[in-house]
Amino acid sequence: MGDSSPNGAVRRRGANLRLLTRALVAVALAAMAAVVVRLRGTGGTPPHRGGWRELSTEDFVEPVEEP
Amino acid sequence: MRAVLVGLGAVGARSARQLLSSTVVDGLLVLARRPHHVAPNIASLDGRGTVELAELSAEAFIRELPEAAVVLLAAPVTAPYAGLAVARGVPVVSVTDAPEDVRSLLALGGDARRHGVAVVAGAGMAPGLSCLLAAAAAEGMDELHEVHVATVGTGGPACARRRHAALRELVEEWRDGAWERKVASSGRELVWFPELGGADCYRTSRADPLLMAEAFPGLRRATTRAAASRRDRFTSWLPMLRPPHPEGAVGALRVEVRGRRQERASTVLLGANGRPALVAGTVAALAAELAAARLLKPGAGGLASLAPNPRELLAELSRRGVRTEVFEGAGPTPTS
Repeated sequence: MGDSSPNGAVRRRGANLRLLTRALVAVALAAMAAVVVRLRGTGGTPPHRGGWRELSTEDFVEPVEEP
Repeated sequence: MRAVLVGLGAVGARSARQLLSSTVVDGLLVLARRPHHVAPNIASLDGRGTVELAELSAEAFIRELPEAAVVLLAAPVTAPYAGLAVARGVPVVSVTDAPEDVRSLLALGGDARRHGVAVVAGAGMAPGLSCLLAAAAAEGMDELHEVHVATVGTGGPACARRRHAALRELVEEWRDGAWERKVASSGRELVWFPELGGADCYRTSRADPLLMAEAFPGLRRATTRAAASRRDRFTSWLPMLRPPHPEGAVGALRVEVRGRRQERASTVLLGANGRPALVAGTVAALAAELAAARLLKPGAGGLASLAPNPRELLAELSRRGVRTEVFEGAGPTPTS
Protein backbone atom coordinates (compact mmCIF):
# COMPACT_ATOMS: atom_id res chain seq x y z
CA MET A 1 0.00 0.00 0.00
CA GLY A 2 1.25 3.52 -0.77
CA ASP A 3 1.73 6.42 1.59
CA SER A 4 -1.77 7.95 2.14
CA SER A 5 -0.64 10.72 4.49
CA PRO A 6 -0.83 14.42 3.39
CA ASN A 7 3.00 14.45 3.12
CA GLY A 8 2.89 11.42 0.79
CA ALA A 9 0.43 13.15 -1.55
CA VAL A 10 2.67 16.22 -1.69
CA ARG A 11 5.71 14.02 -2.48
CA ARG A 12 3.82 12.21 -5.27
CA ARG A 13 2.70 15.53 -6.78
CA GLY A 14 6.28 16.80 -6.67
CA ALA A 15 7.58 13.66 -8.38
CA ASN A 16 4.90 13.94 -11.12
CA LEU A 17 5.79 17.59 -11.67
CA ARG A 18 9.51 16.74 -11.98
CA LEU A 19 8.70 13.99 -14.51
CA LEU A 20 6.54 16.38 -16.55
CA THR A 21 9.23 19.09 -16.46
CA ARG A 22 11.90 16.62 -17.59
CA ALA A 23 9.68 15.37 -20.42
CA LEU A 24 9.00 18.92 -21.58
CA VAL A 25 12.71 19.79 -21.48
CA ALA A 26 13.52 16.63 -23.49
CA VAL A 27 10.88 17.46 -26.11
CA ALA A 28 12.12 21.06 -26.36
CA LEU A 29 15.75 19.90 -26.79
CA ALA A 30 14.72 17.39 -29.46
CA ALA A 31 12.75 20.07 -31.29
CA MET A 32 15.72 22.45 -31.18
CA ALA A 33 18.04 19.74 -32.50
CA ALA A 34 15.56 18.94 -35.30
CA VAL A 35 15.33 22.63 -36.26
CA VAL A 36 19.13 22.94 -36.37
CA VAL A 37 19.50 19.78 -38.47
CA ARG A 38 16.71 20.84 -40.81
CA LEU A 39 18.02 24.37 -41.28
CA ARG A 40 21.64 23.37 -41.85
CA GLY A 41 21.69 20.20 -43.93
CA THR A 42 24.32 19.50 -46.56
CA GLY A 43 24.37 21.08 -49.98
CA GLY A 44 26.37 20.06 -53.01
CA THR A 45 29.24 21.21 -55.14
CA PRO A 46 29.03 23.67 -58.01
CA PRO A 47 29.82 22.37 -61.51
CA HIS A 48 33.57 22.51 -62.27
CA ARG A 49 33.15 22.41 -66.03
CA GLY A 50 30.68 23.62 -68.62
CA GLY A 51 28.20 26.47 -68.70
CA TRP A 52 24.82 27.63 -69.94
CA ARG A 53 24.31 28.50 -73.61
CA GLU A 54 21.24 30.34 -74.82
CA LEU A 55 19.09 28.37 -77.25
CA SER A 56 17.83 30.07 -80.38
CA THR A 57 14.70 29.27 -82.37
CA GLU A 58 16.80 27.11 -84.74
CA ASP A 59 17.97 24.94 -81.84
CA PHE A 60 14.44 23.58 -81.51
CA VAL A 61 14.26 22.28 -85.08
CA GLU A 62 15.90 19.01 -83.98
CA PRO A 63 15.39 17.20 -80.64
CA VAL A 64 17.52 18.67 -77.86
CA GLU A 65 20.23 16.12 -77.10
CA GLU A 66 23.00 15.70 -74.57
CA PRO A 67 25.78 18.09 -75.64
CA MET B 1 -12.30 35.13 -81.04
CA ARG B 2 -13.07 36.21 -77.51
CA ALA B 3 -11.17 34.97 -74.47
CA VAL B 4 -12.29 35.04 -70.86
CA LEU B 5 -9.49 35.83 -68.42
CA VAL B 6 -10.13 35.20 -64.73
CA GLY B 7 -7.75 37.26 -62.59
CA LEU B 8 -5.57 40.19 -63.55
CA GLY B 9 -2.62 39.91 -61.20
CA ALA B 10 1.01 39.93 -62.33
CA VAL B 11 0.61 36.81 -64.52
CA GLY B 12 -2.90 37.64 -65.72
CA ALA B 13 -1.87 41.13 -66.86
CA ARG B 14 1.08 39.71 -68.84
CA SER B 15 -1.17 37.08 -70.41
CA ALA B 16 -3.73 39.73 -71.33
CA ARG B 17 -1.10 41.80 -73.16
CA GLN B 18 0.15 38.75 -75.04
CA LEU B 19 -3.35 37.62 -75.98
CA LEU B 20 -4.35 41.04 -77.26
CA SER B 21 -1.24 41.30 -79.41
CA SER B 22 -1.91 37.90 -80.97
CA THR B 23 -3.78 37.26 -84.18
CA VAL B 24 -6.03 34.68 -82.55
CA VAL B 25 -7.83 36.71 -79.90
CA ASP B 26 -9.58 39.96 -80.76
CA GLY B 27 -11.61 40.46 -77.61
CA LEU B 28 -10.99 39.89 -73.92
CA LEU B 29 -13.34 39.79 -70.96
CA VAL B 30 -11.53 40.12 -67.65
CA LEU B 31 -13.29 38.79 -64.56
CA ALA B 32 -11.77 39.91 -61.28
CA ARG B 33 -12.82 39.61 -57.63
CA ARG B 34 -12.16 43.31 -57.06
CA PRO B 35 -12.56 45.05 -60.43
CA HIS B 36 -11.75 48.51 -59.04
CA HIS B 37 -8.29 47.21 -58.00
CA VAL B 38 -7.38 46.06 -61.50
CA ALA B 39 -9.02 48.89 -63.45
CA PRO B 40 -5.65 50.73 -63.88
CA ASN B 41 -4.16 47.53 -65.39
CA ILE B 42 -7.02 47.40 -67.88
CA ALA B 43 -6.31 50.96 -68.95
CA SER B 44 -2.68 50.05 -69.65
CA LEU B 45 -3.57 47.17 -71.97
CA ASP B 46 -2.77 48.14 -75.49
CA GLY B 47 -3.56 45.87 -78.41
CA ARG B 48 -5.84 45.38 -81.28
CA GLY B 49 -8.82 43.93 -79.39
CA THR B 50 -11.56 45.15 -77.10
CA VAL B 51 -11.26 44.68 -73.35
CA GLU B 52 -14.12 44.52 -70.87
CA LEU B 53 -13.97 44.22 -67.11
CA ALA B 54 -16.56 42.66 -64.80
CA GLU B 55 -16.77 41.33 -61.26
CA LEU B 56 -16.04 37.62 -60.91
CA SER B 57 -19.04 35.48 -60.05
CA ALA B 58 -20.28 32.09 -61.23
CA GLU B 59 -23.28 33.80 -62.86
CA ALA B 60 -21.13 36.28 -64.81
CA PHE B 61 -18.77 33.48 -65.83
CA ILE B 62 -21.58 31.22 -67.10
CA ARG B 63 -23.20 34.14 -68.95
CA GLU B 64 -20.01 34.77 -70.93
CA LEU B 65 -19.21 31.14 -71.82
CA PRO B 66 -21.31 30.90 -75.03
CA GLU B 67 -19.18 33.69 -76.58
CA ALA B 68 -15.84 32.41 -75.24
CA ALA B 69 -13.27 30.59 -77.38
CA VAL B 70 -11.07 29.88 -74.37
CA VAL B 71 -10.98 30.46 -70.61
CA LEU B 72 -7.68 31.41 -69.01
CA LEU B 73 -7.68 30.96 -65.23
CA ALA B 74 -4.98 33.20 -63.75
CA ALA B 75 -6.45 33.31 -60.24
CA PRO B 76 -6.74 30.63 -57.53
CA VAL B 77 -10.33 29.66 -58.42
CA THR B 78 -9.49 26.75 -60.67
CA ALA B 79 -11.68 23.68 -60.32
CA PRO B 80 -15.31 24.89 -60.22
CA TYR B 81 -14.84 27.36 -63.07
CA ALA B 82 -12.93 24.87 -65.21
CA GLY B 83 -15.74 22.33 -64.79
CA LEU B 84 -18.35 24.88 -65.89
CA ALA B 85 -16.35 25.77 -68.99
CA VAL B 86 -15.60 22.19 -70.04
CA ALA B 87 -19.26 21.19 -69.64
CA ARG B 88 -20.07 23.87 -72.24
CA GLY B 89 -17.30 22.79 -74.62
CA VAL B 90 -14.91 25.67 -73.89
CA PRO B 91 -11.18 24.89 -73.54
CA VAL B 92 -9.50 25.88 -70.28
CA VAL B 93 -5.95 26.95 -69.48
CA SER B 94 -4.90 27.30 -65.84
CA VAL B 95 -1.68 28.71 -64.44
CA THR B 96 -2.08 26.97 -61.10
CA ASP B 97 0.87 25.08 -59.63
CA ALA B 98 -0.97 23.63 -56.60
CA PRO B 99 -1.13 19.81 -56.75
CA GLU B 100 -4.74 19.63 -55.49
CA ASP B 101 -5.89 22.11 -58.17
CA VAL B 102 -4.04 20.18 -60.87
CA ARG B 103 -5.58 16.90 -59.67
CA SER B 104 -9.06 18.40 -59.95
CA LEU B 105 -8.24 19.63 -63.47
CA LEU B 106 -6.91 16.23 -64.51
CA ALA B 107 -10.18 14.72 -63.27
CA LEU B 108 -11.93 16.69 -66.02
CA GLY B 109 -10.05 14.68 -68.69
CA GLY B 110 -13.02 12.46 -69.58
CA ASP B 111 -15.38 15.42 -70.04
CA ALA B 112 -12.74 17.31 -71.99
CA ARG B 113 -12.22 14.43 -74.44
CA ARG B 114 -15.97 14.02 -74.83
CA HIS B 115 -16.30 17.70 -75.78
CA GLY B 116 -13.12 17.68 -77.86
CA VAL B 117 -11.42 20.43 -75.86
CA ALA B 118 -8.14 20.78 -73.99
CA VAL B 119 -7.80 21.46 -70.27
CA VAL B 120 -4.24 22.65 -69.74
CA ALA B 121 -3.25 22.21 -66.10
CA GLY B 122 -0.24 24.29 -65.10
CA ALA B 123 0.61 26.66 -67.93
CA GLY B 124 3.10 28.88 -66.15
CA MET B 125 6.83 28.73 -65.54
CA ALA B 126 6.79 25.55 -63.41
CA PRO B 127 4.75 23.66 -64.26
CA GLY B 128 4.31 24.86 -67.83
CA LEU B 129 7.62 25.81 -69.35
CA SER B 130 9.16 23.04 -67.23
CA CYS B 131 6.88 20.48 -68.96
CA LEU B 132 7.86 21.74 -72.41
CA LEU B 133 11.59 21.64 -71.58
CA ALA B 134 11.27 18.12 -70.18
CA ALA B 135 9.38 16.98 -73.28
CA ALA B 136 11.97 18.54 -75.60
CA ALA B 137 14.83 16.87 -73.72
CA ALA B 138 13.00 13.53 -73.61
CA GLU B 139 12.55 13.49 -77.40
CA GLY B 140 16.23 12.76 -77.89
CA MET B 141 16.22 9.78 -75.51
CA ASP B 142 15.34 6.13 -76.04
CA GLU B 143 14.28 5.72 -72.40
CA LEU B 144 13.31 8.44 -69.94
CA HIS B 145 14.09 7.68 -66.30
CA GLU B 146 14.08 10.86 -64.23
CA VAL B 147 12.88 14.47 -64.39
CA HIS B 148 13.97 16.95 -61.72
CA VAL B 149 12.64 20.52 -61.74
CA ALA B 150 14.05 23.42 -59.71
CA THR B 151 13.07 27.08 -59.65
CA VAL B 152 14.18 30.31 -58.07
CA GLY B 153 12.00 33.40 -57.69
CA THR B 154 8.30 34.19 -57.70
CA GLY B 155 5.89 36.18 -59.85
CA GLY B 156 3.23 38.34 -58.23
CA PRO B 157 1.82 38.35 -54.67
CA ALA B 158 -0.44 35.31 -55.28
CA CYS B 159 2.59 33.35 -56.50
CA ALA B 160 4.62 34.41 -53.44
CA ARG B 161 1.80 33.32 -51.10
CA ARG B 162 1.53 30.00 -52.88
CA ARG B 163 5.29 29.41 -52.59
CA HIS B 164 5.11 30.23 -48.87
CA ALA B 165 2.44 27.54 -48.43
CA ALA B 166 4.28 25.09 -50.70
CA LEU B 167 7.30 25.18 -48.37
CA ARG B 168 5.25 23.71 -45.50
CA GLU B 169 2.76 21.36 -47.23
CA LEU B 170 3.47 17.65 -47.61
CA VAL B 171 5.39 16.98 -50.82
CA GLU B 172 4.64 14.08 -53.13
CA GLU B 173 7.48 12.71 -55.25
CA TRP B 174 7.16 10.10 -57.96
CA ARG B 175 9.45 7.13 -57.32
CA ASP B 176 9.32 3.75 -59.09
CA GLY B 177 5.67 3.99 -60.06
CA ALA B 178 4.32 5.22 -56.71
CA TRP B 179 3.94 8.45 -54.78
CA GLU B 180 6.26 8.99 -51.83
CA ARG B 181 5.43 11.59 -49.22
CA LYS B 182 8.25 13.86 -48.12
CA VAL B 183 8.56 16.77 -45.73
CA ALA B 184 8.56 20.16 -47.47
CA SER B 185 11.66 22.35 -47.14
CA SER B 186 13.85 19.25 -46.76
CA GLY B 187 16.30 17.62 -49.20
CA ARG B 188 18.72 20.50 -49.73
CA GLU B 189 20.42 20.51 -53.12
CA LEU B 190 22.72 23.10 -54.64
CA VAL B 191 21.27 23.91 -58.06
CA TRP B 192 23.09 25.90 -60.74
CA PHE B 193 20.63 28.15 -62.60
CA PRO B 194 21.21 29.96 -65.89
CA GLU B 195 22.49 33.54 -65.32
CA LEU B 196 21.74 33.51 -61.58
CA GLY B 197 24.28 30.87 -60.53
CA GLY B 198 23.92 28.56 -57.53
CA ALA B 199 21.07 28.47 -55.05
CA ASP B 200 20.14 26.01 -52.33
CA CYS B 201 16.86 24.36 -53.30
CA TYR B 202 14.46 22.33 -51.16
CA ARG B 203 11.47 20.08 -51.72
CA THR B 204 8.30 22.04 -52.36
CA SER B 205 4.68 21.10 -52.96
CA ARG B 206 4.21 21.81 -56.65
CA ALA B 207 2.44 19.97 -59.45
CA ASP B 208 5.43 19.26 -61.72
CA PRO B 209 5.87 15.60 -60.65
CA LEU B 210 2.13 14.98 -61.10
CA LEU B 211 2.18 16.27 -64.66
CA MET B 212 5.52 14.62 -65.53
CA ALA B 213 4.35 11.20 -64.30
CA GLU B 214 1.17 11.61 -66.33
CA ALA B 215 3.01 12.76 -69.47
CA PHE B 216 5.83 10.22 -69.46
CA PRO B 217 4.67 6.65 -68.79
CA GLY B 218 7.50 4.55 -67.37
CA LEU B 219 9.13 7.50 -65.62
CA ARG B 220 10.98 6.30 -62.50
CA ARG B 221 11.51 9.55 -60.58
CA ALA B 222 10.06 13.04 -60.69
CA THR B 223 10.86 15.71 -58.14
CA THR B 224 10.50 19.46 -57.80
CA ARG B 225 12.43 21.92 -55.68
CA ALA B 226 12.44 25.66 -55.06
CA ALA B 227 15.19 27.96 -53.87
CA ALA B 228 14.58 29.13 -50.32
CA SER B 229 16.50 30.89 -47.58
CA ARG B 230 16.70 29.77 -43.96
CA ARG B 231 14.19 32.48 -43.07
CA ASP B 232 11.78 31.25 -45.76
CA ARG B 233 11.88 27.73 -44.37
CA PHE B 234 11.86 28.68 -40.71
CA THR B 235 8.83 30.97 -41.15
CA SER B 236 6.92 28.79 -43.63
CA TRP B 237 4.61 27.48 -40.87
CA LEU B 238 3.69 31.04 -39.87
CA PRO B 239 1.45 33.48 -41.76
CA MET B 240 3.50 35.66 -44.12
CA LEU B 241 5.21 38.19 -41.87
CA ARG B 242 4.98 41.01 -44.41
CA PRO B 243 2.96 41.54 -47.58
CA PRO B 244 4.70 40.16 -50.69
CA HIS B 245 6.18 42.49 -53.32
CA PRO B 246 3.96 43.51 -56.26
CA GLU B 247 6.31 41.46 -58.45
CA GLY B 248 9.39 39.37 -57.76
CA ALA B 249 12.82 39.95 -59.30
CA VAL B 250 14.41 37.88 -62.07
CA GLY B 251 13.95 34.16 -61.50
CA ALA B 252 15.07 31.01 -63.23
CA LEU B 253 14.10 27.45 -64.00
CA ARG B 254 16.25 24.33 -64.37
CA VAL B 255 15.00 20.99 -65.69
CA GLU B 256 17.25 17.94 -65.45
CA VAL B 257 16.23 14.96 -67.55
CA ARG B 258 17.97 11.60 -67.20
CA GLY B 259 17.54 8.53 -69.32
CA ARG B 260 19.28 6.31 -71.84
CA ARG B 261 20.25 7.12 -75.39
CA GLN B 262 21.94 4.66 -77.71
CA GLU B 263 22.63 2.25 -74.84
CA ARG B 264 24.32 4.97 -72.76
CA ALA B 265 23.19 6.93 -69.73
CA SER B 266 22.28 10.44 -70.82
CA THR B 267 21.54 13.65 -68.91
CA VAL B 268 20.16 16.82 -70.49
CA LEU B 269 19.99 20.06 -68.52
CA LEU B 270 17.71 22.77 -69.85
CA GLY B 271 16.87 26.06 -68.19
CA ALA B 272 15.25 29.44 -68.57
CA ASN B 273 15.53 32.74 -66.86
CA GLY B 274 13.47 35.91 -66.70
CA ARG B 275 10.81 37.52 -64.57
CA PRO B 276 8.61 34.59 -63.49
CA ALA B 277 5.36 36.52 -64.02
CA LEU B 278 6.42 37.51 -67.53
CA VAL B 279 7.52 33.98 -68.44
CA ALA B 280 4.37 32.44 -66.95
CA GLY B 281 2.14 35.01 -68.66
CA THR B 282 3.77 34.32 -72.03
CA VAL B 283 3.44 30.54 -71.66
CA ALA B 284 -0.19 30.85 -70.52
CA ALA B 285 -1.12 33.16 -73.39
CA LEU B 286 0.47 30.86 -75.97
CA ALA B 287 -1.33 27.86 -74.47
CA ALA B 288 -4.61 29.79 -74.53
CA GLU B 289 -4.13 30.75 -78.19
CA LEU B 290 -3.45 27.14 -79.16
CA ALA B 291 -6.39 25.88 -77.09
CA ALA B 292 -8.72 28.47 -78.65
CA ALA B 293 -7.59 27.44 -82.13
CA ARG B 294 -8.11 23.77 -81.11
CA LEU B 295 -4.45 22.99 -81.82
CA LEU B 296 -3.90 21.10 -78.55
CA LYS B 297 -4.87 17.46 -78.04
CA PRO B 298 -8.29 17.01 -76.39
CA GLY B 299 -8.13 15.94 -72.76
CA ALA B 300 -6.63 17.21 -69.52
CA GLY B 301 -2.94 17.37 -68.76
CA GLY B 302 0.15 19.49 -68.79
CA LEU B 303 1.73 21.01 -71.88
CA ALA B 304 4.02 17.97 -72.25
CA SER B 305 0.91 15.81 -72.75
CA LEU B 306 -1.28 18.10 -74.81
CA ALA B 307 1.14 19.94 -77.12
CA PRO B 308 1.50 18.02 -80.41
CA ASN B 309 5.07 19.33 -80.82
CA PRO B 310 6.66 20.82 -77.67
CA ARG B 311 9.73 22.00 -79.62
CA GLU B 312 7.51 24.20 -81.82
CA LEU B 313 6.08 25.82 -78.71
CA LEU B 314 9.56 26.41 -77.31
CA ALA B 315 10.60 27.99 -80.61
CA GLU B 316 7.55 30.28 -80.48
CA LEU B 317 8.29 31.18 -76.85
CA SER B 318 11.85 32.00 -77.90
CA ARG B 319 10.45 34.32 -80.58
CA ARG B 320 8.33 35.97 -77.87
CA GLY B 321 11.37 36.65 -75.71
CA VAL B 322 11.47 33.70 -73.31
CA ARG B 323 15.16 32.82 -72.92
CA THR B 324 15.81 29.09 -72.75
CA GLU B 325 19.28 27.66 -72.25
CA VAL B 326 21.15 24.37 -72.31
CA PHE B 327 24.01 23.38 -70.01
CA GLU B 328 27.00 22.28 -72.07
CA GLY B 329 30.53 21.08 -71.53
CA ALA B 330 30.08 19.06 -68.35
CA GLY B 331 31.46 15.98 -70.07
CA PRO B 332 29.90 12.57 -70.55
CA THR B 333 27.30 11.38 -68.07
CA PRO B 334 28.69 8.75 -65.69
CA THR B 335 27.17 5.36 -66.36
CA SER B 336 24.48 4.67 -63.77
